[in-house]
Amino acid sequence: MSIEVHLYGKLRRFSDNQNPRRESIVHFPVEEGDTIIDIIKRIGIPMNEVGRNVFLNGEYSQLSRSVRGGDRLGLFPDDMQLLYRWYFVKRGGREQ
Amino acid sequence: MKQIIRVDMTQLKVTAEDAPEKYKYMGGRWLTDSIICDEVDPTCHPLGPYNKVVFAPGIVTGTDAPSSGRISVGGKSPLTGGIKEANAGTPFAQKLARLGVKAIVIEGVPKEKDKYWLLKMDKGGTKLHKADEWMGKGLYEVFPSLFDKFGKHVGAEAIGVAGEKLMTNAGICFNDIDNRPSRYAGRGGLGAVLGSKGLKFIIVDDKSSKGVEILDQNVFNKGTAKLAKALRSHDITKPGGALNTYGTAVLVNIMNEAGGYPTRNFREGRFEGAAATSGEAIRNICKERGGAGMTGHTCHPGCIIQCSNVYPKPDGTEHVSCIEYESDWAFGANCGIDDLDVIAELIWLSNDYGLDTIEAGGTIAVVMEAGLAEFGDGARAIELMKEIGKGTPLGQILGCGAATTGSVFGVVRVPGVKGQNMPAYEPRAVKGIGVTYATSPMGADHTAGYTIAPEILGVGGEADPFDTKKAELAKNMQVETAYIDSTGYCLFIIFAVLDYPEGLEGSVESCNGVLGTNWTTDDVGRIGSEVIDLERSFNKAAGFTKAHDRLPEFMKYEKLPPHNVVFDVPDEELDKVHAK
Repeated sequence: MSIEVHLYGKLRRFSDNQNPRRESIVHFPVEEGDTIIDIIKRIGIPMNEVGRNVFLNGEYSQLSRSVRGGDRLGLFPDDMQLLYRWYFVKRGGREQ
Repeated sequence: MKQIIRVDMTQLKVTAEDAPEKYKYMGGRWLTDSIICDEVDPTCHPLGPYNKVVFAPGIVTGTDAPSSGRISVGGKSPLTGGIKEANAGTPFAQKLARLGVKAIVIEGVPKEKDKYWLLKMDKGGTKLHKADEWMGKGLYEVFPSLFDKFGKHVGAEAIGVAGEKLMTNAGICFNDIDNRPSRYAGRGGLGAVLGSKGLKFIIVDDKSSKGVEILDQNVFNKGTAKLAKALRSHDITKPGGALNTYGTAVLVNIMNEAGGYPTRNFREGRFEGAAATSGEAIRNICKERGGAGMTGHTCHPGCIIQCSNVYPKPDGTEHVSCIEYESDWAFGANCGIDDLDVIAELIWLSNDYGLDTIEAGGTIAVVMEAGLAEFGDGARAIELMKEIGKGTPLGQILGCGAATTGSVFGVVRVPGVKGQNMPAYEPRAVKGIGVTYATSPMGADHTAGYTIAPEILGVGGEADPFDTKKAELAKNMQVETAYIDSTGYCLFIIFAVLDYPEGLEGSVESCNGVLGTNWTTDDVGRIGSEVIDLERSFNKAAGFTKAHDRLPEFMKYEKLPPHNVVFDVPDEELDKVHAK
């Protein structure tokens, strides 16, 4: 099973379609017990480029959250920020 | 001593008075609200003789405080029927402050109909001049001739044909740093109020003026340095940060990924055309087409954040400045339009006619739902906008905003609160924003701030262990926003000062430097609360009850994809927001 990873900004370089005006999507295999961090590392994205704006199935999420086959993961780089982030409850795990 | 310039449009008389003691420390939204509450009957007809329009720069506007070039405009709104404050970032604000003007109060209606006036303000005083030669024309045509006549260095305020025709979505236009008619105190139809008073333009020439008096330069300098440091450090506001690189449209892809990006008149929360219309796309197109295109543009001198843009046509010539997140969304996803060149044209038309883009886009979306156009039909959207400029009966309807248009065409799904259409965040997907929309005295408004009810935070997910200080700050956001709107600082400093308290202290200290006060960050709450209380008391006297602090009914039962959620915050919770 795989998950669908949507990449934005400088993170698009980890996909085959890097057009900034379209969607940059990578399908990645997922294993039992995987968390968002595992997927990020497996793609090869340096952790310090990811920032805090990560969405799992459209939910603002902690990096320690578990992922499953069929999920949609959105990764924004550290220079793309949710402006009004206090409206969004961060799902899953402890604040890092 | 700062002055209030009072303009009687019935007698065509201008008087300058020393500002009364009670307004001594006020500026921006605090001052416009106070004067409106003191002088305007909340039950008056917004386009009749008893409404007034107040212009007030912020407390530190006109100094070299960073990102402080903002002006507030207040009055009773013909769109909502309640009190309105709209503000804009513009060199006009700084010039008005430097002339020593604390506020301009426009009152009365002219004896002669269809006669329009220009208010000219300079070191020699303030005078009314005839403005008939500029009537009925687009602002992009008119502005160059204004600056030719009065000098390239002046500040210009204007209403467009929408205001002349008393359309309730008429906004108030100010010049940008390059003298374009593109910076708007847009929301709530205050342009129509000025239209009813026959005031077409205000020109401000601050040449040889004294500048803004600073009572304690040392305190002021320390405060502005602290704030500047916070702005330059924060990922959102810093040079090369999110806003400077991608503009406010950085939010397009983010809100879309979050499933909260209202699409096709708030039918869905995700738009297949989001990436094509995002901040990334704008930046990419500016680079590719070159010429006049740029990001990192600024709306007023002295801004550190610089989040604006100039969007180019395919041949590199300028199309429009600027494509903001809200305008991009209103004419984009909300109308199902995924073409930035179409969106740019719709924004240009809005600016030209003198309209608020958020409401104008919302209106096109409602009229698409009514069947006058297909969602996504950019060419038809442009035709419909042009009806407004022509002033046809259809145009007159569209120029009055989404709620009026929805009523006329039998559209039930009008996404507004208190008659003002919602901006670019879906309340069903992001309930906290829904709480703001419902309870703000301004109507559905994203810049009015947010008060957390802790129960809402916990709903539907695990609440995080918040740092207590941050929770306190967030709780008071609606109040903090009101304070910032009074200082003259751009609201976007809030992103930095909520994370860096020294930045908030710096903003307070800069006010102390100008005013000679001894405020602390405790006064942020006091001032902001006073502002919110003024607005609520005006609205109550105008006939508003808690029944008006509600979202549209359809959002309670219609599930929004992709999350398939409704707005289920109980009415009792909404009523707790302002409960004492």
